[in-house]
Amino acid sequence: MPIKAIKAIKAEETAKDLSKEEDSDTQHVKESDESSSDSTEEEEEEVEEEEGGVALDDLSEEEVDEDVVPQQHVTINNKSVLKKIYQDIKLDVPWIETQAITSLEPANIKDINNDIERELTFYKQALEAAVEGRNKTTELGVAFSRPDDYFAEMVKSDEHMTKIRKKLIDEEQKIKASEDARRKRELKKFGKKVQIERLQERQKQKREDLEKIKAMKKKRKGIEDTAVDDDFEIALEEAADKDNRPNNNRPNKKQKTGKPSKRTYKDTKFGFGGKKRHAKSNTAQSSGDLSIFDGGKSTKKKKITKTRPGKARRQAARNKRQ
Amino acid sequence: MATIFKLAKAVADNKEEVSAEKKSTKNKQRVLALSSRGINYRQRHLLNDLEALLPHFKKDSKLDTKFKLGVLNELAELNNCNNCVFFEVRKRQDLYMWTSKTPNGPSIKFHVQNIHTMDELKMTGNCLKGSRHILSFDKNFESEPHLILIKEVFTHIFGVPKGARRSKPFIDHVISFTIADNRIWFRNFQIVEKDPTDPNKKFNDKDVSLVEIGPRFVLNVIRIFEGSFCGATVYANPEFITPNQIRHSINIQKAARYNKRKMAQSKRQLKIANIDMSEDSANESNKED
Repeated sequence: MPIKAIKAIKAEETAKDLSKEEDSDTQHVKESDESSSDSTEEEEEEVEEEEGGVALDDLSEEEVDEDVVPQQHVTINNKSVLKKIYQDIKLDVPWIETQAITSLEPANIKDINNDIERELTFYKQALEAAVEGRNKTTELGVAFSRPDDYFAEMVKSDEHMTKIRKKLIDEEQKIKASEDARRKRELKKFGKKVQIERLQERQKQKREDLEKIKAMKKKRKGIEDTAVDDDFEIALEEAADKDNRPNNNRPNKKQKTGKPSKRTYKDTKFGFGGKKRHAKSNTAQSSGDLSIFDGGKSTKKKKITKTRPGKARRQAARNKRQ
Repeated sequence: MATIFKLAKAVADNKEEVSAEKKSTKNKQRVLALSSRGINYRQRHLLNDLEALLPHFKKDSKLDTKFKLGVLNELAELNNCNNCVFFEVRKRQDLYMWTSKTPNGPSIKFHVQNIHTMDELKMTGNCLKGSRHILSFDKNFESEPHLILIKEVFTHIFGVPKGARRSKPFIDHVISFTIADNRIWFRNFQIVEKDPTDPNKKFNDKDVSLVEIGPRFVLNVIRIFEGSFCGATVYANPEFITPNQIRHSINIQKAARYNKRKMAQSKRQLKIANIDMSEDSANESNKED
């Protein structure tokens, strides 16, 4: 702690002593030890700052130290006058006149920004008062709750209350809808899993059946000469049946779910699905293809075969004919 | 002569006694509620809510001045009120609430923060208009002399006296004052009884639940004065920071950001200006190479 602060505290202590002696003293410096017990770090800092300055009024001339910054803002807490004023205005009436109840335990909120904790403390205090107040009034024989047939104007109008109710219902529905959506999403995820599992199972079954048939055929080859076993034949047929069933069903299903013929025709003509972008742009293969350049050359050089003979030949031919 | 004096004195004494007796058994409170000019809608609604909840409130038109508050004592007297709640609005945003025992004091000045009115839809409770309520105070109110005084003033102002005009004889809500974070938190709850059929049954926590009606606000004590809207300060809250100061510090923070940016800009311009772009310098650099 800096020397200045220590000096200040010393000065403050002497000032305190003075104020204790003079009961009528109206202004005293804020006592740091009162608030430091449950104060946070910030508050402690504040207190230290305040300790740095001492009220001008409390310093006698000898004690004035140039190092100490004089404190301009003097804390006023004139307890004796406050008590006197309280005595003056205090109501001395039966409880039912004021219906004020003080809680048994002081409210202690650790974090003021924690809404739930704070409101719960308020709620508990009010609840305690409500229960105690109710018991006290019933003891005194005063009506507490309103009878069912007593109708009167309320603080909030019916219109307002319907608004509140509507809002509550809306909120409930919102929550319900979001929950529904979430459930559906999860079901969908789960459903897909089930579908895949079923497909895999079917394939596995098919494979097993085929293997069975193969094994049986081998077996049969081995015992070709022996008489045909009835059991084996039946088993084979059963296996074949099992194997065929999905095959038989498939085309039907396809017909059912398949597209109309017009659509399929259009799809073949104009194309369907697949990537549409970069279809016309070059690929490594297309740019590496140089065949078109060769072809161009060859077409240029190609001589057109003349069907008409030259002039000399034609004349010679004419002479021959004549 | 002496006998006449004695007689008169006896009568006067008797009267005083009677009045003292009456005073001791009856709680007579009337509260004048009014605001200064420049009140905004939320604060006005708060004042209206208080008037709706407390039947012994008497609302008056807005006061023109913010400086000569002494006239409020006369106004209260004109309205037969012995208490006054005055909403002083500064800069159309800061609300200060004066609660005063007119005409002799004391008066307390609060800063009102975090106002929520009854019109908000999240507060679902409702109660009879003008029904009496139970006042609930935190135990902390008994820890300090100034809090004891505040509690007493609040019992006068926020407690509906028995048999007050326009009040209804049933109790269906609780108004609670709690001290937290060196501030006073105001809450208003409806009392919902699970089984109201048996009126003589002793109640415990499980038979009653509360639903908030509103309004809500937080009071921060600034000063307590000895007189009503006048007199010496007997208590001043050392931790109170005025909203102006808070806004000022926020502005300074914002200004710091701006200054930093401007400084960076000017630095950059200086740097660009100092770079020599003439041909000589270019040649020199080539020679060096």
